[in-house]
Amino acid sequence: MSSDSSRPMASDASPAASGAGSALLEIIGVTKRFGGLPAVDNLTCTVRQGETLGIIGPNGAGKSTLIGLIGGSLAPTSGSITFDGQDISRLAPHNRARIGIARTFQVAQPFAGLNVRENVIIGALFGRRNLSRAEAASVADEVLARVGMENKAYLIGGQLTVADRKRLEVARALATSPRLLLLDEVMSGLNASEVMQAVELIRRINNSGVTVLVVEHILRAIKGVSDRVLVIHHGAKIAEDLPDNVLSDPHVIEAYLGQRYAQQQKQAGANPTPAEDWKGGLA
Amino acid sequence: MAISPEANATSPGSKPALPGGPRSSRMWLWNTIIGLILLAIISIIPLFNDPAMLHTWTLIVMFCVLAQGWNFIGGFVGYAAFGNVVFFGLGSYAVGIMLNSGKPFWLGLLVALVVAVVFAFLVGLPILRLRGHYFAIATLGVAEAVGELIAARDIGGSGGLLSVHPPTLAELPLFFYGFVGLSAITLVGTAVLSRSKFGYALVAIRENEQAAEAMGIASYWYKVAAFMLSAAPTAIAGGLYAYWATGFDPSTVFDVSYSVEMVLLAFLGGAGTILGPLLGGIAFEYMSYQFSVSGFTLHNSLLGLSIIIVTIFLPQGFIRLVQEVMRPTSLAGANDSYLLRIREGLRRVQRFIASNGV
Repeated sequence: MSSDSSRPMASDASPAASGAGSALLEIIGVTKRFGGLPAVDNLTCTVRQGETLGIIGPNGAGKSTLIGLIGGSLAPTSGSITFDGQDISRLAPHNRARIGIARTFQVAQPFAGLNVRENVIIGALFGRRNLSRAEAASVADEVLARVGMENKAYLIGGQLTVADRKRLEVARALATSPRLLLLDEVMSGLNASEVMQAVELIRRINNSGVTVLVVEHILRAIKGVSDRVLVIHHGAKIAEDLPDNVLSDPHVIEAYLGQRYAQQQKQAGANPTPAEDWKGGLA
Repeated sequence: MAISPEANATSPGSKPALPGGPRSSRMWLWNTIIGLILLAIISIIPLFNDPAMLHTWTLIVMFCVLAQGWNFIGGFVGYAAFGNVVFFGLGSYAVGIMLNSGKPFWLGLLVALVVAVVFAFLVGLPILRLRGHYFAIATLGVAEAVGELIAARDIGGSGGLLSVHPPTLAELPLFFYGFVGLSAITLVGTAVLSRSKFGYALVAIRENEQAAEAMGIASYWYKVAAFMLSAAPTAIAGGLYAYWATGFDPSTVFDVSYSVEMVLLAFLGGAGTILGPLLGGIAFEYMSYQFSVSGFTLHNSLLGLSIIIVTIFLPQGFIRLVQEVMRPTSLAGANDSYLLRIREGLRRVQRFIASNGV
């Protein structure tokens, strides 16, 4: 399974050594409560310029809330978020798009009545660069070619398959010319070959200089694209490390598969690849 | 941003047709021209020298303007404004009060325009924070409240009853031409809007407000602007009506049925399109008039039935039917005869209607 292998660069070097730069996004002690319940609990984390940071966690861990907080559809209860040195905790979503934070939605939100190309043109028209109509059209064609949707340019957004909707989300976000791209479960609901294509696409986007934040619960996919992985559980950070280290972390295994499974694994002790085993099972 | 070679290569014809096919880039121009031709044809009506006919058509074109005005907020942004009559009423009162204080009519229209647009801005600020039904209810409430306020404060006259010095008989066609001109200006304005960045933003908000914001569109301010835009023609129509009708009170110019009619006409014709509200206005107001003069006791039921049929089978309005017929098929290409195109189109329409039907 060649797609399972993690990125060669990331597996043997820390992101700093692999050329990833200074902090682009800093999440400092952020808490978000819905009623009394904290969905994100005092979370601190840094996204470095040029890296791909994966965020994983069981259902209800607060992954999408975190994306909402960064994208601006939610405001933090406390704590602050800075982007490129600027405090954006209270900035409206459209202003975040203008400074270069683009996002996709967990449930794809196409402009349902417009065709794929028009969807992407709107991203380019507004977004970070605020282009004219002619410029936006050519950017849209370029982006559609990049994500491999050029032959679906005139299909209506609301009539696409799940995989194409997700791809459209990415294309539209890319068209805004982002510096930071937030991908909220763009691979869930895709079949194995579609996941492979998506992984390939995310790598290409990252290689073009865009910092990427990938939220996912397909572990195999996250391992394939991430330089580093952040694991959250009940809204709090339980691990932040290189993908391989994270996936063999007992806390992470416990969070995903429960205490008993983790203990069994511990007792088994000499089991050579406990992590591989459950990763394969879940992916 | 450099233009990629791929972008240049995708001009129509150079590649095999893609599924769906591009929308004709000239569609907007054709729509505008057809609309202007329609208005030109209608504008010969005063030549018949039939006062009753002139009266009917003045009202028909007035309702077209109202529907066209509503189209900006209701059709393009997709916000169900059920109180646009408030701009009509404000326009009427502005003109009435100006005329009664001896000011010229054109100044009255100008004041009507300014008052309504400023009002749309001030009221839009709070109520455009609401969405869906809540917005609809709020607009309804605002219109009712303003009407009641005018009645209670005896603005313009006792109970808000305002009468102006009537225009001469020879001037009556001028009101008709006024409405036709206003309709033409609104039509061209809509066409320009639909091609502009501003128009793209409004459509994006309609199609998905959350996604529009994520694309960097300041949806709130665009909505306020669209609300102001929809107030403008409505207020001037109200001003023209005020002088034409010579006497009115809050229950006529703040009548909620005007608001309903705007929505209805725009939807029947095709909300969010250039030509739809005009077509819907002409067709359905004329039909409604014919049903009522025929003296047939079921005229309202018949009208209601036709509305139900259209909304069930053509939720995007009549204009969509025309578009479906005329759209070139991706397989047939652009070189085919019109006969073949229309035959293909009709087949598509059958499928389209079947897919919308219950």
